[in-house]
Amino acid sequence: MKNIYRIIWIILATAVLGACSKSFLDRPSESQISADNFYKTTADLRLATANLYGGATWGVWHHAAFLPLGDILSGNAYFPWNGDWVQLYTRTITAGNSVMQGGWTGLYNTIGQCNTTINAIEQKADASIPVTDRNAALGEAKFIRGVAYYYLAMLWGAVPIIEDNSKLIQQPLINRNIVSDVYKFIAKDLAFAAQNLPATDATGRVTTWSAQGMLGKVYLTMAGLGQSGGTRNQALLDSAIKYAGNVCKNSGLNLLPSYYNLFRSQYNDNPESLFALQWATGPAVAWQAGNLMLTYSPSNDINPQQNGAWTPLQPTYDLYLNYTPDDSVRRKASFMINKDFYPELNAAGGGFTANGQYMKKHIIGNEKDNNAPTMTFTASIQHDALLRLADVYLVYAEAKLGNQATTTDADALYYFNQVRTRAGINPVTTINMDSIIKERRIEFAFEGQFWLDLVRLSYWNPVKAVNFINNQQRVTITDSSGVLIPTPAGQTGGPTPIVPATISAFTLQLPASEVATDPKLLDPPVPYY
Amino acid sequence: MTNRVLHLNQISKKLCMEKFKTISLPSWLPGCILFLLLILLTGTPVFAQTKISGTVTNNQNKPVSGATIHVVKTTRYTTTNDAGAFSIEAGKGDVITVSYVGYVQKEVPVTSDNMHIQLEATDNQLENLVVIGYGKVRRKDLTGSISSISGDELRKTQPSTFDQALQGKVAGVVVQQISGQPGGGVSIQIHGVSSVNGNNSPLYVIDGVVIAPPGNPGAGSNPLNTINPSEIESIDVLKDASATAIYGSQATNGVIVISTKRGKSGPPTITYDNYFGYQRLPKRLPVVDLPQFASLLNARAVVWGFDARPEFANPQYLGKGTDWQEELFRSAPMQNHNLAINGGDARTQYLLSLSYFDQDGIALGSNFKRYSVRLNLDNKTTNWLKIGTSLQLAHIKEAVSTTSNSVINTALSLTPDIPVKNLDGSWGGVTNTSGWVTPVPNPVGLTALNSDNRKRNQLFGNVYAEIQFYKDLSLRNEVSGNFDFTTEDIFRPTYTFGKVQNTVNSSSYSSNQNIYTVVRNYFNYNHLFSNKYNVSATAGHEAQLTTFENVSASRQNFPSNNVKSISAGDATTAANSGVKGSGPALESYFGRLNLTLSDKYLLTGNLRRDGSSNFAEGRRWVTTYSGAFAWKLNNERFLKGAAFINELKLRLGYGVTNNQNIPPNMYTTLLTSVQTALSGASQFQSNLANPFISWEKTNNANAGLDGTFLNWRINFSLDVYNRKTDGLLLALPLPLFSGTTTGWSPGAMTAPIVNIGSMSNKGFDFRIGSTNINTKNFTWKTDFTLSYIENKVLSLGPGGASANLPQSLNGYVFGKTVVGQPMGAFYGYRFDGVFATPEDFKTHALPVDQSGNPYPVSPNGGGIWYGDRMYKDLNGDGVIDTRDQTYLGSPLPKYQFGFNNTFNYKNFDFNMFFSASVGNKVLNQLKISQNIPTNNTSYFSSVLDYAVVAMKDPNGSTTDFNNFYVTNPYTTIVGLRNDNTNENSRPSDLFIEDGSFIRCKTISLGYRVPEKLLSKIHVNTCRVYATMSNAFIITKYTGMDPEIGSWNPLQAGWDNGYYPQPRVFTVGVNISLNK
Repeated sequence: MKNIYRIIWIILATAVLGACSKSFLDRPSESQISADNFYKTTADLRLATANLYGGATWGVWHHAAFLPLGDILSGNAYFPWNGDWVQLYTRTITAGNSVMQGGWTGLYNTIGQCNTTINAIEQKADASIPVTDRNAALGEAKFIRGVAYYYLAMLWGAVPIIEDNSKLIQQPLINRNIVSDVYKFIAKDLAFAAQNLPATDATGRVTTWSAQGMLGKVYLTMAGLGQSGGTRNQALLDSAIKYAGNVCKNSGLNLLPSYYNLFRSQYNDNPESLFALQWATGPAVAWQAGNLMLTYSPSNDINPQQNGAWTPLQPTYDLYLNYTPDDSVRRKASFMINKDFYPELNAAGGGFTANGQYMKKHIIGNEKDNNAPTMTFTASIQHDALLRLADVYLVYAEAKLGNQATTTDADALYYFNQVRTRAGINPVTTINMDSIIKERRIEFAFEGQFWLDLVRLSYWNPVKAVNFINNQQRVTITDSSGVLIPTPAGQTGGPTPIVPATISAFTLQLPASEVATDPKLLDPPVPYY
Repeated sequence: MTNRVLHLNQISKKLCMEKFKTISLPSWLPGCILFLLLILLTGTPVFAQTKISGTVTNNQNKPVSGATIHVVKTTRYTTTNDAGAFSIEAGKGDVITVSYVGYVQKEVPVTSDNMHIQLEATDNQLENLVVIGYGKVRRKDLTGSISSISGDELRKTQPSTFDQALQGKVAGVVVQQISGQPGGGVSIQIHGVSSVNGNNSPLYVIDGVVIAPPGNPGAGSNPLNTINPSEIESIDVLKDASATAIYGSQATNGVIVISTKRGKSGPPTITYDNYFGYQRLPKRLPVVDLPQFASLLNARAVVWGFDARPEFANPQYLGKGTDWQEELFRSAPMQNHNLAINGGDARTQYLLSLSYFDQDGIALGSNFKRYSVRLNLDNKTTNWLKIGTSLQLAHIKEAVSTTSNSVINTALSLTPDIPVKNLDGSWGGVTNTSGWVTPVPNPVGLTALNSDNRKRNQLFGNVYAEIQFYKDLSLRNEVSGNFDFTTEDIFRPTYTFGKVQNTVNSSSYSSNQNIYTVVRNYFNYNHLFSNKYNVSATAGHEAQLTTFENVSASRQNFPSNNVKSISAGDATTAANSGVKGSGPALESYFGRLNLTLSDKYLLTGNLRRDGSSNFAEGRRWVTTYSGAFAWKLNNERFLKGAAFINELKLRLGYGVTNNQNIPPNMYTTLLTSVQTALSGASQFQSNLANPFISWEKTNNANAGLDGTFLNWRINFSLDVYNRKTDGLLLALPLPLFSGTTTGWSPGAMTAPIVNIGSMSNKGFDFRIGSTNINTKNFTWKTDFTLSYIENKVLSLGPGGASANLPQSLNGYVFGKTVVGQPMGAFYGYRFDGVFATPEDFKTHALPVDQSGNPYPVSPNGGGIWYGDRMYKDLNGDGVIDTRDQTYLGSPLPKYQFGFNNTFNYKNFDFNMFFSASVGNKVLNQLKISQNIPTNNTSYFSSVLDYAVVAMKDPNGSTTDFNNFYVTNPYTTIVGLRNDNTNENSRPSDLFIEDGSFIRCKTISLGYRVPEKLLSKIHVNTCRVYATMSNAFIITKYTGMDPEIGSWNPLQAGWDNGYYPQPRVFTVGVNISLNK
């Protein structure tokens, strides 16, 4: 008997020794899809590109750098209690500044997601997917990549162009590329998108009009690049006119009748919105994966969960000076002035009366105001636009002005005045560079655009751009018994002595950690093409 | 009948004798065993039995009571009494074995009916069995580099987890505490750091169960904390490849084998161990009090031109303010109870152990409780079958609500003007509306209100069956598992701390289960040829699999702060998530051959083939091999005359081990579902895939010399090793423009895991133990260990010399790994004083803007001014930029020492143990943040020495720098100006400090109550003792504690305000009952 037991043991043991089945070592993830078995249908491609419109893909840049670089650095806004933001305001930016880190990191995060999506579609998309669908998906990803590189080029100038992040595994240390090649790359991406995106798509998705509008803006920027003599490249201006004009005249799109409504969640993705970030909401949305604009709120009383009013931005006196008394719609939609009343903020609590001068745009009230019970202050449901039709109108007008001192071109005036009359102010009869800068500054205040406008100007008219920022009244507004005055010296928000800016102020320095990681970034930039 | 049995017995005896001689008679074997069995069953005596008696003494001729006497090949056992005397049924020709803990087991043939047996203490350790992986050998037959430590030695430092106790006790092992919180983690590196992917942990094997390597467990808790140190019999640390190779792919960083106590044949012994302890914060950091704080802010307001605070107008009338360190730290109790019963007979031995351990943390809100039950059973079922099990059930309860790693940081984040509680009894908090003042929550309030409780239930154990086919060949089948169930319950109530308000309460709850199983089958063969050549061989197969599942849920808006059940929250705010999966899966075939020739030459060869699911198909399998040779010089004729040498052995070993320890599925891109407003779930690419990832290889050469001299009174062991690792597995820290991250960074992909570069670890370990004095009443023993390690990065792959695995803090790179230097080294500028005289601006280079132009000298924003820090222009190009950074030292200790002295005088014992670490640097992060006068946290008192800028001619120019100077030019603290163009907090040697230390780990005094007193109350032994752990530390480091362990070798030595190791006073008692 004992013998038999032992034989059984031996047989059992040998069976086990004879090894596990081959599939024992196959352990695919059970919680995540792998790229190897995705991209089978058009619906899969839509899920892949949906990721590029919001979430953590855009979250870091949007939270850390969008308004600080666009509006604080340009002198529109101020918040005294954040050292890194004060550095932007006083233009004493250090290489360790967290805003720059966040902007650089966030934009390259977006580019990384675009790149891997583009490469996966090109290499792995199932052959059964119709070519138009495939190219439309590529068009979406290339449009968004183009936008991200556009911000990079405007802020840092020469930056490394990366199309395939996995190549960095073998060659992690690369040079910056010359800025003209970065723009060329952007224009190519946007041109592809313009050709392959449909004229209409589901709400929130970009269309060929988004791409053509953006392309117009990029050509307008490129027209000035390297033209420090004060005139811009006419051929590129003509390209800007072509694409922006096509959107103005042939898209069938119109401005939203109310400027004020543009920034209310009820009007998310309105027809004027050419590219808006598609933020999700709810408690499951992680930090920096949602729209964090409500952290700029002036009061917890009007915020979801009555929380998060951490860093209310204040408008500068310099910004305030641009508004005429007639321009009250845009003023009130952009920033609050002491005792302004906003009935729609905390409507259930009787509305909100401002107790100082604070940014209003993007402050959309609490859960009830937006009929969004799960909205949190770290995940606002506002789909803020990075490109609006009004922007394309003003790009068109500026391109038409081109190298002339003034213009009375009917087309230019028509679209320029469309923007003005929608805001309830008088049309103009002539346009010059100053009026365009001013109009853009008012129209897009707190939309992260003004610094880019100044950079665009600095390309071809550096003297004007440098003077512009050195002559600003970078102080906050004080309500002195009902009269708004510049905050005097000695008070928080008052004037600070600053070393005057030079043209180098228009190019941000590279983040300190990035230079330490890749010392080749310090070398002169190299051509990409 | 009797005749027949006798006859059978004779036949069987004959057969057995034949088999031993020739080995090649397997067909006889069953019969042989069967007959033996029959004899046992019938119990028929072969020889006449009489009663013999005797005494057992130790080598000092003192009686050994409780020693087990066993008549070989029978079931007859007895134990000696208090006088060491015994009597048992046995006759001449029988063999008896005498065994007792701490003594070498002795086999004695019965020669008379009144025997005197003297036992040798096992101090020389040579006879001790050492676990070598799938087997055991006597220490004297070892070929590999293995250090052992007994459970008794381990417990001397009163560790709450066993790994804390290894520091300084085991040569070649660098031990650093990661967090002093109860049950906190420990980083252990054996023979250096060979992996850069964040885990250099050795493999932990407990009674054959592999404990999954401890990764970063978040808030500093320790995955090994379920193991009760009281239950440990011994720990063997396998250091070189010849020792570890048999464990294969998981063992590249060495193996720590823990054997728990097992039952011993004999009457039951009941032991009870208990101690009570009292822990205190060893040191407080010097911070400003309220008058100092107020004067600093007043002075700052003058310079800034704003932010004068009326409440600070008269600092001299203010009270001392709140000392947040005093408020957040307490004297905390701890206690341990352990009850064990062990015993058995010839067939079955058992050990049952129950324990309870409870430790409050010295920081408010931290507590650790462990309840555990262990059952170890061994049963010799039949003569050819042995079965057994080791089982442990543990329940851990941890409160970790505010005890993140940076608890000191928390204590320093609030200023002394804020009360813990207001006069009306409400919680204090920041009320200053000046926005400079960050609304930091009151940490004392948070600990009182928030709850974060972790519960962990762990079952781990194994069952085995061992079949003895015949004397030389056996098969062992083992199934082991580690079943780990953890829940974490977090509740965050609504509260108001001044300006800080939480208006929405919330809760989150998560449940995790991790299950690790291994099935292992292997044959052992052992035979002695011609009484001279011993062959032992092992061959087998094993399969290992880890599976994990977790779900978590959260809700907000609870009706009350007292109703904390997750389902009480508002359902519309519910969020949940979960993951599950399996892997890594590992499959292995292994074999080992040991040859012993004439008890002089020992040869070991290991071969193992491993497959891992962590790699893409085609890259999964790898071979591990090693060989070793040992030469017992003392058995050579030429040393026979040297009587002072008891043992001398030379060891040489070489091997290749492999490592696959990376997260699963990194060879392909994984897509995570995330929400967008567009289409609901969208697919976010969560990692940058590297399809080429494969095994990391380590070549390991080791030479060792073991010796024992002077009648076993001195023994030493020396090992010299050279390890070279190629194809380092690494989560590659790429530049930010790669869109990847190695840490936490929303929106970035997980960095690719790559095989990159190579690294070398060279060093030696030395241990010497000596019995200095050994008299009747007094003994003095000394142990000294020394570990020396030199770590060097040899190459870093495609980035070449420029690749440097940077580690950032506040946007600046403080740590780099550079070819030719140790990994994770500190880099930065050389601090050169502050700008204090006009001359300084002429002789010192200035930092530059983005265009490379030096910043102007100006008191205005954007200028460099008096009180800014100066840095050395190391490359001499006339400006300060990133090219002026240099190597500032390594966080890795060059040497670690352990120095232990034990004194015994009559019934007293006294132990004093020092451990030391030499040559490592520490990044003192708090020194950066708490010394900047423009910051708005609390400050170290050193900040009061801020650079004071004065004018030479008060009526002179206010812009010309020649008219200014600094009145305290030798300060290191910057001035009060509200501008940081100079980047005064850039990495510099100002913040990198020498982390060398000597720590008195233990002072312990014990007293053994005399047996005479005890025998009346039927107590066998009773020892009472008092211990002070972490008694004192000698160091130049200005922070709390220079011992900064890290899970991440690239950020070793980064002190962000760690939970410090407390000073602990304990009193305890060990009682053992016999009969």
